[in-house]
Amino acid sequence: MAGPQAETAPQSFLGPTIRRSLRSGRMILAVGTGWTVILGVAIGLGSGSAFVSSFPLVLPIFGSMAAIGSLTVFTSDRTKGVLEYLMAYGVTPRRLFTNFLVASLVSISIVLVIAIGAGVGAYLAAGNPPSVALVVLLGGYALPMSYVSGAFSTTVGMYWSALSSPREGMNSPVGVAPFLGILPPVATLALIGVFGATVGITLEGFVLVTGTALGVVSVVVLFLLADIAHLLRRERLLSSA
Amino acid sequence: MSSAGPAVHPNAPPPGPPSISCRSVCSGYLGTEVLRDVSFEISAPSVYVVLGPNGAGKTTLFRTLAGILSPSRGEVRIGGVPGDHQAARDRMHYLSHLDGLPEGFTVREALAFYARAERADDGDVERVLDKLEIRDLSSQFLGRLSAGQKKRVSIARVFLRERDIYLLDEPTANLDPKMAKEIRGLILELSRDKVVLYSSHNLYEAREVGRHVLVIKDGRLTLFDRIENLRSSKFRLGVRLLDASASLPGWDREGEYFLRELTGPEDVPPILEELVRRGIKLREAREMDNPLERIFE
Repeated sequence: MAGPQAETAPQSFLGPTIRRSLRSGRMILAVGTGWTVILGVAIGLGSGSAFVSSFPLVLPIFGSMAAIGSLTVFTSDRTKGVLEYLMAYGVTPRRLFTNFLVASLVSISIVLVIAIGAGVGAYLAAGNPPSVALVVLLGGYALPMSYVSGAFSTTVGMYWSALSSPREGMNSPVGVAPFLGILPPVATLALIGVFGATVGITLEGFVLVTGTALGVVSVVVLFLLADIAHLLRRERLLSSA
Repeated sequence: MSSAGPAVHPNAPPPGPPSISCRSVCSGYLGTEVLRDVSFEISAPSVYVVLGPNGAGKTTLFRTLAGILSPSRGEVRIGGVPGDHQAARDRMHYLSHLDGLPEGFTVREALAFYARAERADDGDVERVLDKLEIRDLSSQFLGRLSAGQKKRVSIARVFLRERDIYLLDEPTANLDPKMAKEIRGLILELSRDKVVLYSSHNLYEAREVGRHVLVIKDGRLTLFDRIENLRSSKFRLGVRLLDASASLPGWDREGEYFLRELTGPEDVPPILEELVRRGIKLREAREMDNPLERIFE
């Protein structure tokens, strides 16, 4: 016989959040993917060495832009009172943020898979040989930097959105998010440039600077998520309407 | 031998009487107290109307009871457990004054979204589409709906799963009179065996639906009583005659109504008997003033 209902956590809404984020950010996703594919194919069909040295470096800039969809949905949900309902069901702010973050990473994956497939396909189709440097740059820089930058812009964007009064346009957190996303890769490349100009860049130096940048940004994102209960009061997620 | 007992519907609320206990609760936003030292106990199914001027703390009370805001002092217990426990949340439905509808969804998708959060299923979505008469809107995107239609969809969410405590913050705002009446009917139906806390700015609606009233002013609970115990400062009986052109000497007139000020409702029966004895044909007799209006005086 069925006894009293057991205490159960609310259902996951990750799937719907991913679908809504993709739907909401479909234009920016299409544009971001389109530009990366055009760029990758254009460079890939040309000089092999130019492709290896430039394509992995620009990828995170376009990849992190794909985070806008989930940030748009988060901001809309806060304004319209959806977050309030989800909290009433027992969804914690940390879980809310994590769901939107995962949705953001899924969008970034779509851009990366399509762009790398098209770019590397064009590079190989042009008769260029498989390159270890390309694999290292894609695996050691482009992919982790895209995800970490996207996670950074989504998390900081959600905090910003929660801490500010609702507004729209380019001054809103959603409008500024793309610039937040390009901050980690641009800062990393700038550091590499400075190192290169002073002591000369080596593979070890590149790995060290990139690894440090990825580590620092990851720690910031993880800290913002882990300590959300102290950093962000629940009422910040309520609509002011 | 089978050990199976009586079948329990998977969507049925947990056993035990529905109860809300609010003890010396202070709550608010970002360190600013809105609710101050609010205490009350509710344990009987009924409609409890929460009234108060704008900014008095009604929405803050609902959000605190729903476990969205944590009390800075005091304690909320739902069905005997702390209000922020999942077991307490599972006993309640909360309807915000905001529609809370996820942008970019159709009506059916939005209800399916909440059905998932509620652990309800597609059958429940179909049921509430019919119950709230929104089936014809089911494939429309939420952005294309009017404010009233959105409100209906938002209310439909509340009926996805059965609970035993309903916190309804202005459920009839933006609804046309016909739909508002139907919603009031649904609320009265719920209140037969469930606790319904309900806020409204419409005092006539509050009087029609409510059995008890909680009045909040400046964040404090200033009154908690049965509505029938409230008395207007004056009691005015109004009668409307079947013959609209007839007059009633000695009575004041206000529109179609003839009015007389009485000491209380106990004076009504002898006066009506007297009118009938005089052969005056009555179409309607009613109390002209709403005792709830006194709360805002």
